[in-house]
Amino acid sequence: MKDIVRQKIGINVDVMDLLNEQISKEAHSAAVYLAMASWCDHNGLVYSAEFFYKQSAEEREHMLKIFKFINENGGTAYSPEVSNINHEYNSLQEIFETALDQEIQITKSINNIVTKCRKVQDYGSENFLQWFVKEQMEEENQFRRILEMFDLMGTDGIALKLIDERIKHE
Amino acid sequence: MNLLYKSYYFASYQCDHSRSFYIDFGHKQVKLSFCQLLAIRQKVQAIDLSSHFDKDLNYSGIEILSLCNREHLFVFDTLQVIDLKQLLKATFGVLELNSLVAH
Repeated sequence: MKDIVRQKIGINVDVMDLLNEQISKEAHSAAVYLAMASWCDHNGLVYSAEFFYKQSAEEREHMLKIFKFINENGGTAYSPEVSNINHEYNSLQEIFETALDQEIQITKSINNIVTKCRKVQDYGSENFLQWFVKEQMEEENQFRRILEMFDLMGTDGIALKLIDERIKHE
Repeated sequence: MNLLYKSYYFASYQCDHSRSFYIDFGHKQVKLSFCQLLAIRQKVQAIDLSSHFDKDLNYSGIEILSLCNREHLFVFDTLQVIDLKQLLKATFGVLELNSLVAH
């Protein structure tokens, strides 16, 4: 019997499923960052708002990168539904902590797919995902650096304004 | 045509000559490209079986599935949905085994 599946698709089908789940997660992240940008805008934190608009666009780029990878290799990428986006936060610090936690979850998810790639010997997908592994390390470090600012400068009054202005350079 | 898997209600086949797949739904046989087979798999996987046992979520206990860009329309009851899930899971399992053997 011919191996028609291998002729039609260059990636493992189970890996494709995980990549489709990752598309949903990246889309969710993009929407969460958009909600965070909105909160910052409403609270006079213009540079933080700009930062989260940029983050949201980056997450969407990540999503599209995976989306195109699946389709280019013979799989089927599914456009994700996004729901349950929280718009209520108590502080800018809480926002950045939530953002870091979200990035950690994304890192775990990417690592999980890399593990699956190795298990099923899908080296093409693993190679593709190495870019995400590196990117996630950078993303996490960025949020850690920002949270350190809160530890150093505090969270009240002028400190908050100074942190917001520092975020402009991140 | 090579039989991939036969469940209680349905059966799946691979045709080497046309490089396509077939699902025999009992009353009719549907020819599928690999892409269409993936689409069916995704749709069937997405069916929430637990909703079939909750009158508020799925009162009639049926699923309506359109396949192959709405070329076919199917109505399945709970037992058929369970069977279809089993068929697709096993079909892809056999296809994976075939890949391992072929390479």
